[in-house]
Amino acid sequence: MTPHAAATRPSRAATEAGDGLLSGYELGAAYDEMVDASGGPRPHYHPLFDRLLQTAPDDFRRHKAMTDLSMRQDGVGFTVYRAEEGIERVWPMDPVPRIIPACEWRQIEAGLTQRINALNLFLWDVYHEQHILRDNVVPARLILQGGYFRREFVGVNVPRRIYVHICGTDLIRDADGRYLVLEDNARTPSGVSYMLQNRQVLKRVFPAIFNDYDVLPQDDYPAALLEVLQYIAPESSSQPTAVLLSPGMYNSAYFEHSFLAQRMGIELVEGRDLLVDGNRVYMRTTRGRQRVDVIYRRIDDDFLDPLTFRPDSALGVPGLVNAYRAGTVALANSIGTGIADDKGVYPFVPDMIRYYLKQDPLLDNVETFRPEIPAQLSHVLANLDKLVVKRVNESGGYGMLVGPSSTQQQREEFRALLQANPRDFIAQPTIQLSTHPTFVDGRLEGRHVDLRPFVLCGERVTVTPGGLTRVALPKGSLVVNSSQGGGSKDTWVLADAPRQ
Amino acid sequence: MLSRVADALFWMSRYLERADHLARAVDVTFHLDLDLHGVLANPVELEWNALLSLLRQSPPQIAEGESPVAAVQRWLLLEGSNGGSVMSCVNRSRNNARSIRGSISPQMWRELNKLHWRLSDPALQSRVVESPHDFCQEAQIGVLLFHGVCEATLTHDEGWHFIQLGRYLERADKVLRILDSKFGLLERSGSVDLPISTLQWGAVLKNCAAYEAYQRLYISRVEPERVIEFLLVNPDFPHSVRFCLAQSLHSLTEISGRLPDRCDDEVVRTVARLLNDLVYLDAAALGGERLHSFLGDALGRCARISALLQQQYALQ
Repeated sequence: MTPHAAATRPSRAATEAGDGLLSGYELGAAYDEMVDASGGPRPHYHPLFDRLLQTAPDDFRRHKAMTDLSMRQDGVGFTVYRAEEGIERVWPMDPVPRIIPACEWRQIEAGLTQRINALNLFLWDVYHEQHILRDNVVPARLILQGGYFRREFVGVNVPRRIYVHICGTDLIRDADGRYLVLEDNARTPSGVSYMLQNRQVLKRVFPAIFNDYDVLPQDDYPAALLEVLQYIAPESSSQPTAVLLSPGMYNSAYFEHSFLAQRMGIELVEGRDLLVDGNRVYMRTTRGRQRVDVIYRRIDDDFLDPLTFRPDSALGVPGLVNAYRAGTVALANSIGTGIADDKGVYPFVPDMIRYYLKQDPLLDNVETFRPEIPAQLSHVLANLDKLVVKRVNESGGYGMLVGPSSTQQQREEFRALLQANPRDFIAQPTIQLSTHPTFVDGRLEGRHVDLRPFVLCGERVTVTPGGLTRVALPKGSLVVNSSQGGGSKDTWVLADAPRQ
Repeated sequence: MLSRVADALFWMSRYLERADHLARAVDVTFHLDLDLHGVLANPVELEWNALLSLLRQSPPQIAEGESPVAAVQRWLLLEGSNGGSVMSCVNRSRNNARSIRGSISPQMWRELNKLHWRLSDPALQSRVVESPHDFCQEAQIGVLLFHGVCEATLTHDEGWHFIQLGRYLERADKVLRILDSKFGLLERSGSVDLPISTLQWGAVLKNCAAYEAYQRLYISRVEPERVIEFLLVNPDFPHSVRFCLAQSLHSLTEISGRLPDRCDDEVVRTVARLLNDLVYLDAAALGGERLHSFLGDALGRCARISALLQQQYALQ
């Protein structure tokens, strides 16, 4: 059965009372991914919706339990540290998949491609001639004084002129269902292994639901990533050796590091496994030194090389930055990409797209106020209870004020901070992220979701169909970060033509 | 391969073998204890203390309301603060595996991980007080599953050989220790009742998973001299010291990538010499004190092999 055929059949409304999975499903002010205003399913959700109507809550509970068990046995999780004792958390996945129709995906794919191209042109420009600053499209001060601008890298030619090889861009949907870019992650974005693992586990525990759909596969990601790494290798190496540099098993994303290294068939190395001699990078093996050509590094700039950046870092490799500068080794992502995903720079990405590509942005930003501009500061101060205020150099949901759920005291704190250092903040209207039916307390309830697709840039730009859908599990919460109790969903992009 | 990876593979395997041996030893002692109740006055102290001294561990603190035997079992199987307990060994093995997750097959990681979670199950752990059997069985089966999966899913290259090396060197060490600990028993064997001697030497065999294999070969009552011969020099039984060293030598030469008779490194030489001594050992002449000194010497050489390995391959 195809989604299109199914769409012609009437379906029961979700909001009716009863004791089914979807009974009494509540719609809020947000856009719901599955259920439209009438209480029926959107066309592409129709077959899944019908199946959920036929599934008893107890059966579904079993699927959920199998999901957790599978994740636990595969050792998929992350570690949360409290008082030196590591607590292993199992990666939480909700078994109801999120579905994106082909036409929507085409628009997302084109928008993300345009965006990563503009970011790479921007980075080349600001680390070389700085045209965009001289033309006053982006304020020079914002870049040159930005915490993530690497002065040391001005004038350095990075391989193939690519700075951001791997990008994870967070998308949300507003009340009208419009996709908006919330932020770009152009340093060391994580989550792609969870995307792949979610698909694997869902196929294992709930194979039947795949029968109703043609879902585009995602398995190609590691191979595509490896091609990118080989593409940027120094030209002198005919058979380049790529490695993945990880801070080690105590890092919260260690699962992802080992997963990707294994799927690509490359070594996972730690700083202590590498050494630099004569501006060349080697790894220590049981048969002596072996040359390394490309490093997919999952360590931030600051910790990469104690000789150049933080001298107290034991995670990095002394001399690595000089070797990179000399062109004997390639890094993905490059050094200095942090200035491109700086929240203070974010409002200018649409301008970059127009400036470098002479195109209109296909994906819009969330409307953003810059308190640095006096008129906007007064608007922000007058509307603190409605806006989200973010620090430009923080991530992961820290250093934020969510106006509607804030206390008077928190607002006063931020008012003082904003007045003292307006340049350290941006403000955005509170967007009601779209909701998606999610298994909570024995039935399905709407929970807010976002979407992080993964973009690769090598010889060409590749956007893996789907991405990581993160879910805020507490009712009404807009915070999807896994460190703050978020869950996840398998994300399906449907094939273009319906199956015959 | 990365030296760090080789090191982690070696220790992953070694800790797992240690867990396997200890789980079997606790299980065997538990059953021996039940058997000896009928024939000895106070077998409990004797056997459990012998096990502790074999492991070079002092008797654990006894919790309130806990019997001494239950305390030893808890200490050896479950206790997190005892770095040598089965639980700790499995955790160390798993931590080593985790640190090189990309270098072992996903199936291996999954088996090891499942083992960790099964042994952590509070229901299984709480049954240890009544009988440690289920727990010990789970541990042993889990180790076997892991090696089965490893054999079938990991390329038999350098890394695989480091796994074999960890496994067989640990096993050789444990078998030598078990024999060494029974040395006193052998000296007294003339004066001890036959059923007791049979039970105790039977337990030695069972500790090395060798009871049935021994019976099949000798078709006779369990006799101390034959047990020693079987566990030291049988060429084909996987828990004999000679077998373990032959496997270690094979893996070492594969790792060094040279023909066995062209290997000039100290590790290979040390292993090969010990193996030769076993091949040409006159087990019948190993009475009393001479056995003791032979075992002591062999244990020392095993320790030296480990130390040399660390040097040779820059293991940490």
